[in-house]
Amino acid sequence: MTSAMEIYQLLPKTNCKKCDESTCMAFAVALLSRTKQCTECPPLMEEEKYIDSRQKLETILKPLEGAEETGLIIHEELCSGCGNCVVACPVNVANDPYGSGKGFGPTNGKVIFRVENGKVKAANIEECRRFGKDRILCRACIDPCPTEAIEFV
Amino acid sequence: MALDVGKFIKAPEYDIKIISRRDVFQASVCEEDRFGDDCLELSALIVLDAAEMKHMGILDGANVRLASKWGSVVVRARASPREEQKGLGFMVNGPWVNALVSDETPDGIPTFKYIEAKITISKDGITGIQELLLL
Amino acid sequence: MTEPITWTCTGCALLCEDIQVFIKDNRVEKVEHACLKGKARVYRCKHTAISTVDQDEVDVNTAISQAAKILEKAKNPLLYGWSNSTSEAQVAGIELAQTLGACIDSTSSFCQGITINEIMNGSVPSCTLEDVREKADVVIYWGADPMSSHPRHLSKYSYFPRGELRQRGYEEDRTAICIDITESRTAKICKGMFFSIPPGGDAEFMRALMDGLAGRVPKLSYDFDVKRILELAAVLKKAEFGVIFVGLGLVYSIKEEFDLISEFMSTLNKFSNFFLIPMAGHFNMRGFNHNLHEKTGFIHRVAFTKNGPVPGVEYSVVEQLKHGADAVMVVGSDPLASLPLSITRRLKDIPLILVDPCSNLTSRVADVTIPCGASGIEVGGTAVRLDGRKMDISPLIRGNGLSDEMVVRRIMEEVS
Repeated sequence: MTSAMEIYQLLPKTNCKKCDESTCMAFAVALLSRTKQCTECPPLMEEEKYIDSRQKLETILKPLEGAEETGLIIHEELCSGCGNCVVACPVNVANDPYGSGKGFGPTNGKVIFRVENGKVKAANIEECRRFGKDRILCRACIDPCPTEAIEFV
Repeated sequence: MALDVGKFIKAPEYDIKIISRRDVFQASVCEEDRFGDDCLELSALIVLDAAEMKHMGILDGANVRLASKWGSVVVRARASPREEQKGLGFMVNGPWVNALVSDETPDGIPTFKYIEAKITISKDGITGIQELLLL
Repeated sequence: MTEPITWTCTGCALLCEDIQVFIKDNRVEKVEHACLKGKARVYRCKHTAISTVDQDEVDVNTAISQAAKILEKAKNPLLYGWSNSTSEAQVAGIELAQTLGACIDSTSSFCQGITINEIMNGSVPSCTLEDVREKADVVIYWGADPMSSHPRHLSKYSYFPRGELRQRGYEEDRTAICIDITESRTAKICKGMFFSIPPGGDAEFMRALMDGLAGRVPKLSYDFDVKRILELAAVLKKAEFGVIFVGLGLVYSIKEEFDLISEFMSTLNKFSNFFLIPMAGHFNMRGFNHNLHEKTGFIHRVAFTKNGPVPGVEYSVVEQLKHGADAVMVVGSDPLASLPLSITRRLKDIPLILVDPCSNLTSRVADVTIPCGASGIEVGGTAVRLDGRKMDISPLIRGNGLSDEMVVRRIMEEVS
């Protein structure tokens, strides 16, 4: 998984503040959380000497593009459709106690996880406990996955 | 009589016990297409402990010949992401591992799980499904 | 969007009854809640079977007549397969075996038959998957890796769901234990409760656990932390409702001393309340055992003789293929893929009939192939789940051929 430090190593490290962040490290964190984009760092975009770094950054930031607002990424090729996350997710259980909560496929549209054509799909992502003001680092869908198909970035 | 030079440069052989097991990804691609490349890719495969592979000089992804008293096939070797017990190899249920299983069945159950075989690096291509039918 | 049909999945013996299938113009458009195995099942195989005699395409009536001729002529025919057929087709197969005086056996012969036998004769207690979901607080996967074989096992029944007596879910109310020779996908979920044993070390581990339960110090010939066995024994003792899921890893490891299973269960149940469930693979493997038992009193490996049905290891599929059978009819199985080549090689030398919806390895060497509608997709009926519960299977789409039951009955008409 990409870390803020890894991103920072590829930035100019001049703390020029042209991106409106106080330091390059803060900009790295902003890139990771996708509140800022590479294009908001003028030296990186304009100066010849950063071409390599810019390309590397684009490569490592690419997977983040597919991520949901909470940072959720589902690696479909790794998913076996077992539904462990469907039943373990506390939001699924709360919004569909007699369906997902009891081990069945979801019975309404208010859940986050459901399995379609043998692969898990995410919806209603704003309900995720990792979202919003009171977010917590919930791992209820990650730990039960037997194939490491779910990741948060 | 000509000297068989190949005999002296033959890749070393190691004893392993092969355990067959199931895999959901292999089961689903083989159900869809028993003769397809995906089924071959996930079936003609042996998973070994990474350190042991290194010791045997087998690179991850290399072709290896597995030979038992009852048959011989070439499959791809893969390193297990976890540490495995020494001397074991894991294969998914299917005709490739079944080519190695004994016909001795005192209780009517073949020895699917502790198949004694020799493993050696091979320059041959992976045994195709059509070839298995001819064995 | 079309309205979905609720379907019972025949992808494995869990028979998940909550699958939603969207169908348009007799074609599956989408399937919900099914795992990858179920999805592959619903979307069917790419290579469907055709009618052949001597590998040449013929009409289905010719193929059926040729099959009947082969079976009539044979002195010791074997009817084998059956775990991928509905109970109705299995019953027809048993009747055909009786008519022919044939041997009949199923894939359970080298799979979970031995465990199912112990349960059916009452030697070990068993329970339903609903009991597991509502009540179980301790589950053991022994030589079993449901995350690789029965993907929804943990999510639908054995670990993750909230049950009547397990309202707080898996985090607090359930303990999952895995005993295996490798850290499988299931073991990964069991985390601190994974017990890694050497291959073939199951019997000793079982005896060590019995010692631990009885308060004796366990002895093992292999290196294992005795403290962990005592801790495990303590967890088992405290269980209110425990279940052991028996996988093939355990079955094959202790098959020569299988009585140990009932000894272990009765020892365990002096201290606790445990049940045993076999991890049967194919969707109706257990159905065959029930149906044959109803007719003959035996669960598999039966010969119909002049003196009635006789069981025996000599009537097992592997013994019959090695020496015995002089003609074989396979229904819904692919022995060339699933049995040792050292044994199936002989199939090339004796007349072989294959009844299957799909083209497989065995069809490449069969003398007669007869296509049939896929059980549980084009053909409905009943099946028995791995815990013994009978389930209704409704057909999903219209097929344009005969069902396997009809093929068997047509052959029966021609031979009798």
